[in-house]
Order: sequence, then structure tokens, then C-alpha cells
Amino acid sequence: MADSKTLFTLLECAAGYALFEVVAFEEIGSLLEDNVVTDLKRFGRAVKLKGFQPFESAHEALENANAISEHAMTGTLHNFLELNLPKVSKKKGKTSNFSLGLIDPGLATAVSEGLGISCRSDDTIREISRGCRLHLESFIKGLTGGAAEKAQLGLGHSYSRSKVKFNPHRSDNMII
Amino acid sequence: GRGGMKGGSKVVVEPHRHEGIFVARGKEDALVTLNSTPGVAVYGEKRISVEVPPVPGSESSTPTKVEYRVWNPFRSKLAAAVLGGMDNIWIAPGMKVLYLGAAAGTTVSHVSDIVGPKGAVYAVEFSHRPGRDLLGVAKLRTNIIPIVEDARHPLKYRMLIGMVDVVFADIAQPDQARIVALNSHYFLKNGGHAVVAIKASCIDSTAAPEAVFRREVSKLQSEQFKPLEQLTLEPYERDHAVVIGEYRPSKKKKSKD
Repeated sequence: MADSKTLFTLLECAAGYALFEVVAFEEIGSLLEDNVVTDLKRFGRAVKLKGFQPFESAHEALENANAISEHAMTGTLHNFLELNLPKVSKKKGKTSNFSLGLIDPGLATAVSEGLGISCRSDDTIREISRGCRLHLESFIKGLTGGAAEKAQLGLGHSYSRSKVKFNPHRSDNMII
Repeated sequence: GRGGMKGGSKVVVEPHRHEGIFVARGKEDALVTLNSTPGVAVYGEKRISVEVPPVPGSESSTPTKVEYRVWNPFRSKLAAAVLGGMDNIWIAPGMKVLYLGAAAGTTVSHVSDIVGPKGAVYAVEFSHRPGRDLLGVAKLRTNIIPIVEDARHPLKYRMLIGMVDVVFADIAQPDQARIVALNSHYFLKNGGHAVVAIKASCIDSTAAPEAVFRREVSKLQSEQFKPLEQLTLEPYERDHAVVIGEYRPSKKKKSKD
């Protein structure tokens, strides 16, 4: 059964990539029913932080944000996943004994093709992602005290500026 | 010239029933918010400066000046909802707000004043021309995270956003309720609120406005929202309403507490 495999979940945020491991699956099942995600004590027992890769520069953050918005895997993400996920045997016909949950089905396809691991994207992953996003600052100590918002602010500006600058439909730049 | 809300000693500013919003009482009353960037108007709105007596015990003994910006209910549906007597708008100091349909950032700037330095406004606008203005507003106000992207595809901007307390939407699209729900499923906390401005003619120009509002409320209900309040925006806007719903309200509240 697919659900008995180890499950990981990726959370993409402005400060970097975070990988979580679901350690108590029964807990996650009930999580959907009675909103465990809001309770940090219970959520923290069910989900553990496996790794975090902060972006080294504003440029790297923007590059990754642009790729993520187009369902693409960057080199940074590729390396991060390879480093933090269990090794996959290269033998033919053997599937990985874990699966990676991604909130974006498009990215799930790209990662599954790029790394040869089984990926899933469904309501359970969405709920886990809600919990990870909610408690992110408790999992990653470096993001407390407004650091997470600062990263969002910087990335929001650079992402939006690039969108406004790069405009293939020039319709709203008319010069009368 | 003369007239208008020029401030001075004749104007008294009092807190509004909603925390973070104020009322300036002068010749005419006006809804105002505390200007986070004194000396700067965002869209040509009037500013009122009042003297506050020094706090007893503080070092300086001279009165300080505090500046407010007038919030026009004819230009902002949220202001119209406040003046119309909405019971709770859920946007208050320290709140994180996902604002869909930010436009050039006029109402966003007031929301930014209300939530203050501890809050945040994730301001989403897809059109590039207002998006440019929004970027300008956000430059001076660091609690606004500008997002020039399509609110129909929240996953595109998931890296820029944390979990929020409120989703505010003023997008005037037929599938607005769906867009609000989609964003809420990813980013709105359990027990958080959606505040949705509805322009009836944008959803269905053939049906009676009341029927349109009713349908929008039931759409939200089917997406795990519990309707709390509904208010039409007369006399400021015709055939508009603001509806508020609570997202995934806690079922256990009564049995546990």
C-alpha cells in the first residue's frame, strides 16, 4: 500500500526550501478530520523537519521563485532533495520505498521525472503543507523574529518587479 | 485653499469601535487611519495632523504631532462597510491579511495602517499598470508584500506567503467565490475569516442583486465557510455587498472550554 511508505513533504518558502518527514501516519489521518494542524504539540509529534536549505542570495531566491511558479525544478531544489531524501536504488523496476509530497501537481511531475522518485500531490499533502506553513517559525529557528516576513518582502518586491518589467502582452503599456 | 479637513486644533480624533481605525471629529466627521508614513499621501487623500499631549513621565515635554489619512467610503468598499456598521471586519492591528484585487493600493494602504508594523498585507494584483503603482506604495510601507500575479493561481505565489488571519477579496470576477476558496485552502488559518466585497453586476448582471449575494454566500458555505455577516454598501455603492465568513470554525469549542 502506498500509504505505508515513508512520506516526506516539501515546503517552498521565501527563505529557502524545507523538507518535512511524516513520522506518525495515523496522526496525519485524523489531522484531516479534527484539524490537528493548528495544534503545534500534536503536529510537531507527527511531522519532523528533515532539512532546510536557505537561499544564499536574493538572486537565487528570485530564480527559484520564478521556476516554482512555472512548476519547474531548479538545480538548487534538485541538490537539496538528493541530499536530504533517502538514496534511491538505480536498479530497474525497483521503486523508492518513500514518497515525496508536493503541493503543486506540476512540480510533482517534474521532480518525479528528474529524480526518479515517487511523488504525490493530494488533499493530504495540502493539509500537511498548511500545518508546515503555519508552524514554520517553530521548526526553523532562523526564521523567528520577523526574518520570514523580511524574506517574503524582499522576494515579493523582486518577483513583482520582474513581472511588471517582463510583459509579453504590451497592451497596458500603450503610449497615446 | 480653505475648507476640508485641514486639521488644527479644532479636530479631535477618537478611536473607532474597530481597533486600528479612527474618527476625526471636526466640522464634518471623517473615517481616518493612522498614517504610517507621516507627510506622505498615497493617492491624494487628505491628511489630518493633530497634537497629542506628551505622555506623563516620558522624556520630552513638548506635544507631538500625529498624522491621520482620511479614508473615503466612496472610494473604498472596506471603508463603506465600516461606516455601514459592519459588526466585525476582522482586520485589526497585528493581523496578517491576504488582499486579493489590490489594484493600485489605495485601500491596501489603509489596511497597512490598520494592521500596523506587527501585521502584514500580502497584496495580490494581476494587472501590470496598477501593479506598478502598488509596488510604489509598498516601497514606503514595509508591511505590504506586493505580489503581481494571478489570484486564480495561488500556487504561483506560494513562496511569498505565510498563513494569514484574513482573506480580503475585491476582484469583481464571476468566479470570485472560487478564487477566495482556493486561496483560503492554501493560506487561511483555521478559524480565520474571509471578507468578500461583491459587485452583483460582475457576477450576474441579469439576476436580482439579493439573489446574487445569496448564491455567493452559499458558494462560500460549500467551501467550509460559516457565514457570519452580510451588509449592502448603500449609500456608497449600488448593488454591492460585503459578506464575511469564518473558515473551518472549530467544532470542539463548546465541549472543550
